[in-house]
Amino acid sequence: MTRLCLTALKRLSVLSLTAVALAGTLVTTSAAADEWQPTRPVSYIAPANPGGGWDTLIRTTANVIRKEGLADQNFAAINIPGGGGAVAWAQIARDSRNDHMLFAASPPIILVPLAGTSRFNHRDFQPVARLITDYSIVLVKADSPYQTANELFEAIRENPGLSVAGGSAAGSMDHISIAGAAAAYGLNAASVNYIAFSGGGEAMTALLGGHVAAVITGAGEASSQLQGGQLRALAVSSPERIAGSLEHVPTYLEQDIDYTFDIWRGIMAPKDMSPAAVSYYENLYQRMMETDSWKEATARLGWLDAYQTSDEFGEFLDAQLEQFSSVLSDLGMLR
Amino acid sequence: MDAFTSLLYGFSIALEPINLFYVFIGVFAGTIIGMLPGLGPISALALMIPITFGMAPSSGLILMAGVYYGAIFGGSTSSILLNAPGVAGTVATSFDGYPMAQQGKAGKALAIAAYASFIGGTVSIIGLMLIAPALSKVAVSFGPAEYFALMILGLTAVVSLSDKSLVKGLMAAVFGMMVSIMGMDLQTGTERYTFGTIELLDGIDFLIVALGIFALAEVFYMLLKGGRQNTSQRNVIGSLRLTRSEVKEMAAPVGRSSVLGFFTGVLPGAGATIGSFLGYSLEKRIAKDADTFGKGNIKGVAAPEAANNAACGGSFVPLLTLGVPGSGTTAVLLGALLVMGVTPGPMLMEQRPDVFWGVIASMYIGNLFLLVLNLPLIPLIAKVLDTPRPILLALILIFCMVGVFGLNFSRYDLLFLLGFGLIGLAMRLYGFPAAPLILGMILGALMEESMRRALQISGGDWGVFIDKPISLTLLLLAALSLGLPLIKRAFKWGKTRRLSQQP
Repeated sequence: MTRLCLTALKRLSVLSLTAVALAGTLVTTSAAADEWQPTRPVSYIAPANPGGGWDTLIRTTANVIRKEGLADQNFAAINIPGGGGAVAWAQIARDSRNDHMLFAASPPIILVPLAGTSRFNHRDFQPVARLITDYSIVLVKADSPYQTANELFEAIRENPGLSVAGGSAAGSMDHISIAGAAAAYGLNAASVNYIAFSGGGEAMTALLGGHVAAVITGAGEASSQLQGGQLRALAVSSPERIAGSLEHVPTYLEQDIDYTFDIWRGIMAPKDMSPAAVSYYENLYQRMMETDSWKEATARLGWLDAYQTSDEFGEFLDAQLEQFSSVLSDLGMLR
Repeated sequence: MDAFTSLLYGFSIALEPINLFYVFIGVFAGTIIGMLPGLGPISALALMIPITFGMAPSSGLILMAGVYYGAIFGGSTSSILLNAPGVAGTVATSFDGYPMAQQGKAGKALAIAAYASFIGGTVSIIGLMLIAPALSKVAVSFGPAEYFALMILGLTAVVSLSDKSLVKGLMAAVFGMMVSIMGMDLQTGTERYTFGTIELLDGIDFLIVALGIFALAEVFYMLLKGGRQNTSQRNVIGSLRLTRSEVKEMAAPVGRSSVLGFFTGVLPGAGATIGSFLGYSLEKRIAKDADTFGKGNIKGVAAPEAANNAACGGSFVPLLTLGVPGSGTTAVLLGALLVMGVTPGPMLMEQRPDVFWGVIASMYIGNLFLLVLNLPLIPLIAKVLDTPRPILLALILIFCMVGVFGLNFSRYDLLFLLGFGLIGLAMRLYGFPAAPLILGMILGALMEESMRRALQISGGDWGVFIDKPISLTLLLLAALSLGLPLIKRAFKWGKTRRLSQQP
């Protein structure tokens, strides 16, 4: 009985909303897009277990939105782990046209399908907004003979056995980043002897112990280790130097290697979300990134703002797909 | 500052009323979470991250560390009472703990676990305090070749873990290793044993296998045995008290396992589970009464419990001194610290002595709390065994299912749990030992990955395993532990022949 009532109420509210929206359209069409508001809690999905990058993005943004009172409805964080994101993507893809569902995305949404382990890629979803970015950084031990990225790549040319460790599987972000840089230097991407560890921490330990020659990792993660003076950073993949504790690290571009690599993170939605909802969320994130709570959070987490609107984000994703496929095909890992 | 004055400083932080409160809440919550099968410290810590948002970093870490070692401490309870490991690190505790409970010595088993955990925990804190910076060098000296050798040494324990039939033990171990490599291969991205399903891309979680093979199989077994078992004597908890000779018997194993566990914990990627198995198999191998292991030997409870708690403390060494998380749990801790604006690493001790020494001091207090909290609770908790059997079995089933579902919120995991329950039942009925399967599962993937990594770095040269002194030593130890029984037997055989030749 209660259930029936609830359904009826929901219907009613949807009806009245439609009426409001219709009324809006009648008055002025451009305002209609701004009228849309979520009518129930938004499923806010991290396609991974708690603790990782996607999860941190979801929880931090949900917190800021709540603290600053940017939305009337709750953004309810949900973790759907498995398959490096593939399990969640498969579920979200089944839920097209849902205006109350968002999820965190980053390069794996392009890489995992390219590796053949997900049927869905970024084109099966609706880009909402790119939010932040990190960059990748190449580290060697402080007593290593290599002073610059050029010296490291030259050494790799002479000795293809030289090992570069990373904290993710072959063919995933870290591997693509270093292989792409090698290709930009003029080497064959496949000539990097990439050693996959099951986490950035383990890769770092292998470097500190002198078991591998270099490590590729996220610049944000590396800043604490660099403080100890045991490591040296050879290059960072940003277009310009990163302010703060990594200021002294040169970019690839400065070293005449025409290469940048973004570890971007953004928000996506199910395919065919209504344009009004997309523009509502797009707008929401833009406002969120101007708040003090957000600035405080990004400073703490070492994130760099890299906002893009839905359309820009979509174009960016297509460009990423091209870049990644070319590196993966050089590596012989395209499926 | 030398270690002593630093520690005093640490205590001045840990003894602040608010921090005392956090230690208490942390270890209390941790024990409860640890006791519930399947619910591990990782999910608990992840849930706590938002709570710690506004806290001082030292308080936040004190709270979360408390949950972590509290869970390892409490995990032994369900291993002993229900044969359902509460956390991955306490699987080995059930080998002898559960038989003890069945023999009406549940109280004693729980008390031994509590004392051993306390000692293991305390030893590891002392180690953490005195030699953490030096130990970070040990942690980094282990490269892929060394890990491979360590895993090989660990796998030789299959021999001592297979009760009657070595062949059946080896079969179980190989099956465990096959399960451990399910999912996407790290080095090539190839899918193995996934049958094209995305649900298997990450492989099967260790806890699902452990709960299926132990807890569920036990439930099925009891159901099969049905009527006859019901008439058996009412479960008694028994006395908590240990005799002087029992204390003496346990002292050396607890000491050895504490040290062994601590060093295992220091190595990134090894941790409490491997530490407890190494402790258990070492004690079984050197014990004079090895044949009573697996049937309720008190040393079989004490050793893994000391080792897993010591490993938990050890895992803070790479986290705090290198900023490198050695396990999934410490990775979540690292994430939480970063959120609070503290970057653990080589500079932590100088930049944030309040965090470093405050946490270490709080661990002394937390361990004491755990002991004081758990001992009086034992008779109460052990009452679980008084529950009528049909209800108890249903409860075990529910706990296992809730715990497994909580891992990934995946229905498939429940099917896997059921599957491994049936496999475990079949293994029991046909006399296959379960422990080697678990050992193969925890060591297999790490062994394979390390071997391939080492060979990839060396350019395919197998000499890498014997060129490095640590790796060579470990491999020799492995060979020795396999060869020694043979030499012993040959020696004995020669002796008896000589004796029989005498007129």
